Amino acid sequence: MILLNCPNCGPRNVQEFRFGGEHNPRPAAPLAVDNAEWTDYLFLKANKLGVQKEWWYHRAGCRLWFLAERHTQSNQVLKTYCWTARPNREGETCVE
Amino acid sequence: MLNNALYRLEPQAGETIDRAQTFTFTFEGRAVIAHPGDTIASALAAAGVHVISRSFKYHRPRGVMCMAGHCPNCLVQVGDEPNVRACQTPAEPDMVVKPQNVWPSLKKDAMAFTGLFSRFMPVGFYYKTFIRPQAMWPLFERILRRIAGLGKVNPATPPDRYDKQYLHTDVAVVGGGPAGLSAALAAAEQGATVSLFDENPQPGGHWRYALPAPDDGPLPDLAAQAEAHPGITVYPETTVLSCYEDNWLSARRGNRLFKIRAGAVIFATGAYDRPLIFDNDELPGVRFGGAAQRLLRLYGVQPGKRAIVVTANDGGWRIAAGLQAAGVSVVAVVDERPESEAGAVSHVLQADARVFWRHTIRAARGAGAVEGADIAPLDAQVRPQFIAGDLIVINIGLTPANGLLYQAQTKISYNEDRAEFLPETLPAGVFAAGRVAGSHAGATELAEGRLAGRQAAAFLGLAPAPPSAEITALAGQKAAGPKRSSARVDVPGSQKRFVCFCEDVTDKDLETAIAEGFDSIELLKRYSTISMGPCQGKMCAANTIHLCARHTGQSVAQTGTTTARPPLAPVSLGVLAGQNMEPVKRTALDAWHRANGAGMMVAGLWMRPEHYGNPPAEVQAVRERVGLIDVSTLGKLQLTGPGAPDFLDRIYVNKWQKLGVGRVRYGVMCNDEGVVMNDGVTARLSETTWYTTTTSSGAGAIFEWMQWWLQSGWGGEVHVTNISEVNAAFNLAGPRARAVLQKLTDADLLNEAFPYMHVRHLTLAGVACMVMRIGFTGELSYEIHCPTGAAHYVWERLLDAGRDFGIAPFGVEAQRILRLEKAHIIVGQDTDALSDPISADMAWAVKLDKADFLGQRPLRQVAQDGPAQRLVGFTMARPGLVPDEGLQIVRPTAAGPEIIGWVTSSRHSPTLNQTIGLCWLPAPLAGQPGATFTIRMNGKLEEARVHHGPFYDPQGDRLRI
Ligand code: FES
Ligand SMILES: [Zn+2]
Repeated sequence: MILLNCPNCGPRNVQEFRFGGEHNPRPAAPLAVDNAEWTDYLFLKANKLGVQKEWWYHRAGCRLWFLAERHTQSNQVLKTYCWTARPNREGETCVE
Repeated sequence: MLNNALYRLEPQAGETIDRAQTFTFTFEGRAVIAHPGDTIASALAAAGVHVISRSFKYHRPRGVMCMAGHCPNCLVQVGDEPNVRACQTPAEPDMVVKPQNVWPSLKKDAMAFTGLFSRFMPVGFYYKTFIRPQAMWPLFERILRRIAGLGKVNPATPPDRYDKQYLHTDVAVVGGGPAGLSAALAAAEQGATVSLFDENPQPGGHWRYALPAPDDGPLPDLAAQAEAHPGITVYPETTVLSCYEDNWLSARRGNRLFKIRAGAVIFATGAYDRPLIFDNDELPGVRFGGAAQRLLRLYGVQPGKRAIVVTANDGGWRIAAGLQAAGVSVVAVVDERPESEAGAVSHVLQADARVFWRHTIRAARGAGAVEGADIAPLDAQVRPQFIAGDLIVINIGLTPANGLLYQAQTKISYNEDRAEFLPETLPAGVFAAGRVAGSHAGATELAEGRLAGRQAAAFLGLAPAPPSAEITALAGQKAAGPKRSSARVDVPGSQKRFVCFCEDVTDKDLETAIAEGFDSIELLKRYSTISMGPCQGKMCAANTIHLCARHTGQSVAQTGTTTARPPLAPVSLGVLAGQNMEPVKRTALDAWHRANGAGMMVAGLWMRPEHYGNPPAEVQAVRERVGLIDVSTLGKLQLTGPGAPDFLDRIYVNKWQKLGVGRVRYGVMCNDEGVVMNDGVTARLSETTWYTTTTSSGAGAIFEWMQWWLQSGWGGEVHVTNISEVNAAFNLAGPRARAVLQKLTDADLLNEAFPYMHVRHLTLAGVACMVMRIGFTGELSYEIHCPTGAAHYVWERLLDAGRDFGIAPFGVEAQRILRLEKAHIIVGQDTDALSDPISADMAWAVKLDKADFLGQRPLRQVAQDGPAQRLVGFTMARPGLVPDEGLQIVRPTAAGPEIIGWVTSSRHSPTLNQTIGLCWLPAPLAGQPGATFTIRMNGKLEEARVHHGPFYDPQGDRLRI
């Protein structure tokens, strides 16, 4: 079981978290995009072998949704950060 | 009674047994004398019982070989528990111990014939023999199960108690031998908290039983130092089973599973004795050097009376000397080295002991147990000579216990010079010390342990890193140290020679398998089942690699190893399962429900009253008088801030901006696929305060869903708080609901003051409540939300107030009937992962003209194309027939019946005295009220009729009275 570093709470067992899938931003204007782009957003996952940017939720903790960069082969988490600018527990501001 | 004095010695220094007490247990029905501190195997050995089990496939006699829990040869049945390791399990008074794989008895085993006919059981036997004909499988299976069982499980065994414990530690040290203990002490001296795990009753490792080398000097009592150190916690009798990412370990002690998170891990797991492959290499009486020494030193038991010691290192000579000192006659020492390579083998052997240099064993001889050995020179083709004896000590080398290191992703390679697999590159935060890392001299083990302890502390930032010169010096010291292992894994022979004791795989089997093309080590393992038995490769993996290398013409390094997978040692499923805990949520009224005859049901995580004995009567109470239901399980979210309506507009298909303060609206939530996710009502309590309810099952997920949108860009000036458990909620429903409620409050409840789909803050019986006038049941009803702490009180006041009006509590089943009579849907029952709200008859809620919201794009498409399937009501033509939910709706065609829809809800309506339901139908059919279709019930097609709108009170007049 890996450790995940919640930007609020620090390193915790991954069991405390819910995986939220790969980072897959919603088109800003859904009605303006073509079907291919919309399909890509809804259904087509990159399923990357390598460093993947993904969502995690600290369900059994502070209830923060945050981003992680994880290598999908080694399971090594390179960094975790908030989606939007805000200070983490060390007082640094982490931004996407 | 078996006499335990036969092999028991005078008291030995460091022994674990308490000779002041004795007790008995039975083995195969005979009483065996034991002392506290004895294991089953040591007591049996003391009584001269050398055959304690039979092997898995050929039912060959087997006895204690390793005395360390590493081989499969001492597995016995204890009471109801099969596969108990006799050498590791403390003997207890009145224990009933039975040998395994024997029928009818250990001595006369009927299945031993398989040994005679073993040419019919070649490697891959199961694959080859029992494949055809298919029709014979049931018979084959019965035979195989009889032959192949490892022990017997009694299904009537009462469940035991198991639990789990989480540990957090700076440094975890696995293995409490000299290296592990010194590592623990070194790390603790730097300020680290240290947990040390050792599978033995006391730490000390091989120092507890091994005779010291003369140049080791006096050994420090590290175990006592570690016990005394405040920073070190020692976990004895604890086996570490696995190592996962980020230094997450699991370990077992008795019925407890430890889950351990360590900052750094030091593996000082030691080494296993390595078997030599020779004829009859597992005959009872063949024991490893470690077993001989353990029996002597820990239990005061002679491992035999006349010993033949087979060795390739100086350790074997020390064992010989130790045996001799314990009164065992050492008849021969057989060393494969030339005398010139031996160290100072200065121990004096008895005069009649024979010494063979450059010799090895060829065969163990004896009927059922060792009676002697064939000894021959290494290279010359000389006829072996027979030497009589009852004990063959095999001490030719060690297999580093590196399974956990492999699991920790250590790069391990074969060191030709040392003839051992040794760690090459360790991952960050993982360290190795002692025999697992190739250190064999006492001083080197200690130094390497200390170094690893300091490196671990340095890794955690507690101390400066040890200078690299020190690391280099230690590597030199190791290389110069005594060599323990021989590269030789087998000697020539002609009889049964077992590589794998667990599954009775011989060297010939492996050769055959390789010749058949299973020549990669992983394939060889799967085909031959080698290393897959109870020893988990501890006995056979290293030797198999050597044999595979030889037969494929590759080097040992090229051959590689099989993947080491957790668990490292066998573990019972109970330990992994832990306590049988199924957490459920209970509402504040749970006890009241049970005390008042409720039949409880599981609803998601909650327990809810399904009924109070008679659902139709409960329906009738609501329709005619008044009923009360506990709906505390609803999800309850509070939204605050001026941004709330914008946010609601984006995640609901409805419009919210214009909802006035004091009003309530039903809302539907979709995802971007346009699929219905949840529904519920939302009330506007003030300009900036909103209160939303979700389905009971969806509460958690919807809160997380909202949080995600809030935290990833849609969170302007709004805050969502999950208050699902803060408030309890009840629904007071029925034509007399107002009269009941009025008894608890002075507030004006008349229609003009508190109309349908409005919310009010009311004080009920002195408790501040929030009350919504909504109508899931189809009657005048009030949904009362009050603080959970006051729930019981308010509930009882409502019942008191309702007594004169014929109030009755009602359960989930009555509510399902009531809502179905109104054709209200239940998300997740009437809808599924493909249902959009337009098709699900809720087009009125979908406001396609508002700004961007979840599901807008696909819902526009549905609105434009029109739904393909629609959710509609139906009634049955034949009275009394209620189709099960989920049944298919079929249309007969020339080509056979075609499925065109399915039933999602159906009940007998007590109010209307007919069957009513909801179903999905093709849109054209669903669009015609009164049109008929057929449902397939029990193979027959039963007629049903399309119904539009509520079945009961279609205009909704009763909601507004
Ligand atoms: S003798 Fe018990 S496991 Fe080897
Ligand atoms: Zn957190």
